[in-house]
Amino acid sequence: MLTFPRTLVAELRKTATLPGSLAALAVASVGPLGISLLNSMGVRNALRSGQPDLVAYTSAADAVFSAAPLGTVGAVVLGVIAVSSEYTANTPDAGGGRQITATLTATPSRLAVVAAKATVVALLVLATAAVTIPVCLGAANLVLGGLGTPADVGDTVARGVGAAVYWTLTALMVLAITVLTRNGIGPLIAGIVNSSLVSVSVLLSHVTPLAYYLPDLAGMRLFADDSIATFDGALDPIPGGLVMATWALGLLAISSVVFTRRDA
Amino acid sequence: MTARRHRLRRATTAELIKLRGLPAALAAMLATVVAGALFAAADPAGPAQAVPFLQIGPIVLGVLVVAAEYSGRQIATTLIAMPRRLVLLAGKAGAYLIAATATSVITIGGWLVPGRPAGRWTVIGAAAYLVLMGLLALGLTVLLRSLVLPLAGLLTLVLVVSPLLAGYTEHARWLPDQAGRALSQPHGDFTTGAAILLAWTASVAAAGTVAFLSRDA
Amino acid sequence: MLSISGLSKRHGSRTVLSDVTFHALPGRVTGFLGPNGAGKSSTLRILLGLDRATAGTALIDGRPYRELPDPLRTVGSMLDGSGAHRSRTARNHLAWVARAGGLPKRRVTEVLDQVGLAGSGRTRVGRFSLGMGQRLGLAAALLGNPAALVLDEPVNGLDPEGIRWIRGLLRAHADAGGTVLLSSHLMSEVAEIADDLVVIAGGRIAAAGPLDQVIAGHATLEEAFFALTADRSEQRC
Repeated sequence: MLTFPRTLVAELRKTATLPGSLAALAVASVGPLGISLLNSMGVRNALRSGQPDLVAYTSAADAVFSAAPLGTVGAVVLGVIAVSSEYTANTPDAGGGRQITATLTATPSRLAVVAAKATVVALLVLATAAVTIPVCLGAANLVLGGLGTPADVGDTVARGVGAAVYWTLTALMVLAITVLTRNGIGPLIAGIVNSSLVSVSVLLSHVTPLAYYLPDLAGMRLFADDSIATFDGALDPIPGGLVMATWALGLLAISSVVFTRRDA
Repeated sequence: MTARRHRLRRATTAELIKLRGLPAALAAMLATVVAGALFAAADPAGPAQAVPFLQIGPIVLGVLVVAAEYSGRQIATTLIAMPRRLVLLAGKAGAYLIAATATSVITIGGWLVPGRPAGRWTVIGAAAYLVLMGLLALGLTVLLRSLVLPLAGLLTLVLVVSPLLAGYTEHARWLPDQAGRALSQPHGDFTTGAAILLAWTASVAAAGTVAFLSRDA
Repeated sequence: MLSISGLSKRHGSRTVLSDVTFHALPGRVTGFLGPNGAGKSSTLRILLGLDRATAGTALIDGRPYRELPDPLRTVGSMLDGSGAHRSRTARNHLAWVARAGGLPKRRVTEVLDQVGLAGSGRTRVGRFSLGMGQRLGLAAALLGNPAALVLDEPVNGLDPEGIRWIRGLLRAHADAGGTVLLSSHLMSEVAEIADDLVVIAGGRIAAAGPLDQVIAGHATLEEAFFALTADRSEQRC
């Protein structure tokens, strides 16, 4: 375990220098900012013209947090490529060298590799969220001026932290699934579909209330309130977040076991 | 002229054989058909609710038939076997259209079972929408020569960004998926929707074609 | 006959090829020799219509590759390895190439047999070893029974038995009146098999002609090669 910091730095360097990672983080930051601005302009125009019923909400915070799904998409892409890049053949022909060979000869402890990758992805997503969410809130407040419905500060901070946690847990889940599949297409599609408000889980919730324990719906209330998504049976933020965290940890545990036991 | 038609037929069948050899493409088609059957069973009223999910299939298919060329060096083999690039692109689009039309018709067919209330035009419109979204994906991938970029980009557009924008600005109706959605809705503006979606598909396909004809392999 | 004349290629400000001229004649094996990055692959890619030349022409029997009425029956080619997607089977790969070239389906079985992959037709290309991938690439080149063969590093990854086999194959092809152009950086291989030699360095032709003429004045091909390519690098400095 003394070598873990070394592995961590190696993984950080490897992930942070992939052009795909930078693109993913750009999506997670620029995307929510753009949508937050559009949303708050929509709210401002509705309020100025005296037709607040045109929009679903009237606060800056709601304008920002309804844009959070784009941050989830960025987190999904980062989680997928942190792992799938290891399995992309660099000589595309027969056989084909894969980076995973170099990774595992440099760090024979498989558990350390998974732990380091998960830590790096979590840190990058949290750092992006820590910059993006306050900037979005500031921008939305600027656009709205004094027009918007004031939101409780404590409540807004809690939702900001909740969105960051939601992005991070989503990234960790798709990372774990990609370790299992060794191929990015499936996890990428599943991750983006479930980032959206038209996710498969929402459909399932019409069939069975158990769907509220699926990770994306369980964690939804971490940042979304009723004006963004109304789900009568949805779990409250704290229990929902815990359910989502359990999913993430469970998937990471399964993928670590499989990764440790199988041939590279 | 006949030599050209002959070549086009060859290119199309070669591309169909290629498609048959890609397990991921077959999986995307199968998954779409299965999902369609499930949706039709759960919601027999019409395909409108299901289309946002079902479009994932043709989008993946459209991206894959092109991205597979660039994930290794198959593109070199392809261009050596079919050096006339316009014929090759036409063959690729033809093979996609055959596979995607078959998939979409079977997928949407669940709503055409006698006794179901879905209108015939919404069903045909939904199938056409699915085929065209995949063609848009195909054109975009020719332009970008990548798998992740067009796939993540288009899925994010149609599943995340477009619903967000649709709630807040009426200009969202110019987006390809919002416009095309009218094809599968009972009271949608069929003609305008089709025109906007076709314009998107045609311009992306044209940009992809120009890039493909002018650049080195 | 393959005729390259006055070929130049620039990527932005970087010159990859300048004024490359040579021929590969029927009945002869022409070795195309040069260090890594000298321009061998660029020349072959332009010859096969994959990349465009900035200036000059590369013709096959007087026509550019893209205008050949029946390309696969005219030139068989292999550029680095199998050129097949990982998740395809070898048979599926050859089947689509055959269809694209308008070749009968039985050729697929015949070439798989010919290159020694008869038992691996249903194996996915991603599971192939380097040498098997190379054999699959050769199989695709042989599909159309072409008069000319253009091969980029064909012995790369082949085992000794495979190297011997391909040597025999290329010799027989030339002896039957066919044209063979093969690039390599393996001196001993080329010395063993080539009738004519083209040496390229720094994007320019350093020497071209019959093997013994190019080697003349040097003990071995290797010495001749280093003398020729060293001149070139000095000129570049």
